[in-house]
Amino acid sequence: MRVAVTGTPGTGKTTATALLAEREGFDHQVVHLNDLVREYDLVESTDAERDSLVVDLDAVRAHLATAYDDDADLLVESHLAHLLPTDRVVVLRAHPVTVRERLVDRGESEASATENAASAEPPPALARKARENAESEALDVILSAAVDRHGADAVHEVDTTDRDPTAVADAIAAVVAGERDPAVGVVEFSDYLVGEGAPGFAPMESGPDADGGGDGG
Amino acid sequence: MSSQEDVSQDRWGVAHVYASFNNTVITVTDLTGAETIAKSSGGTVVKQNRDEASPYAAMQMAEVVAEEVQAAGLKGLHVKVRGPGGNLQKSPGPGAQATIRALARAGLEIGRIEDVTPIPHDGTRAPKNSGF
Ligand SMILES: Nc1ncnc2c1ncn2[C@@H]1O[C@H](COP(=O)(O)OP(=O)(O)O)[C@@H](O)[C@H]1O
Ligand SMILES: [Mg+2]
Repeated sequence: MRVAVTGTPGTGKTTATALLAEREGFDHQVVHLNDLVREYDLVESTDAERDSLVVDLDAVRAHLATAYDDDADLLVESHLAHLLPTDRVVVLRAHPVTVRERLVDRGESEASATENAASAEPPPALARKARENAESEALDVILSAAVDRHGADAVHEVDTTDRDPTAVADAIAAVVAGERDPAVGVVEFSDYLVGEGAPGFAPMESGPDADGGGDGG
Repeated sequence: MSSQEDVSQDRWGVAHVYASFNNTVITVTDLTGAETIAKSSGGTVVKQNRDEASPYAAMQMAEVVAEEVQAAGLKGLHVKVRGPGGNLQKSPGPGAQATIRALARAGLEIGRIEDVTPIPHDGTRAPKNSGF
């Protein structure tokens, strides 16, 4: 059986599935799609603005179809995994503020592994990536795409906000084993869209007259 | 494009429509985004959680928002839509469309409509029109 583990970057897909890959008795082969895309150059263009490779999904589908049997037990891990053929979809979720913090921390520890750049502010590209992914998470972008494509009966949301990676791995294993019911709409992050640091507009406190009375009328 | 706060008859604003799986949120700001003129969330107009992302909720919210915006002296709105747009709907969903129609029906001029849904990315991203 094929299971997709998807979710906004920062929700913990790579961490949890790497734990499963090492787990005794876990028989599904874990495919980290980000690595596969680079290894086999399954790319159609680049998005310079986002410093990202634009994945050639047809090439990915063709690669998986030739590299693995149709009935092979695969766990495909990526924020694009729900765009591929699959029997079940796990959508990892995390509060947008948590997504942003995890991505900034991960980016800074990756950077400090190569150089000693410890500054108070994350570099602009990392800050932007963290913000855009947090906004995507608040808007349920990946959940909606997964449900559109596979139907609510095939989708299992797992909130990772206050779960450690081992508990997240347990939840994924339970979906793979058929021990967990489908679930969608289990988290509600739209508070992030109107609160402080919300995307698209400046913090509300900075407005001189946030309720729009006075000068305007 | 600079905001002319004093010329109240000609003031335009921006309606940010956030249409998530579970909810629709509308925020109206001035053109700079610094001043919030009105905001509303699906939870304020429907009783059931699962209705918060419905076109009905969006329409109810937009009617109230339109009144507040007109009371603040705005005559028109540019619209920025973010999000996949509600239960089981394609982007931009009926929550967003219902919002725009209701704002127009209330007498506001509608300017540019932009879909600015964010793209999840992590060194890789999906091509456009792939379901995001
Ligand atoms: N369940 C968790 N709780 C707290 N931090 C986590 C959790 N899962 C992952 N992290 C941390 O968050 C960051 C992003 O995790 P990662 O597995 O790379 O996410 P993804 O593959 O979904 O982008 C990493 O620095 C990781 O150590
Ligand atoms: Mg990853």
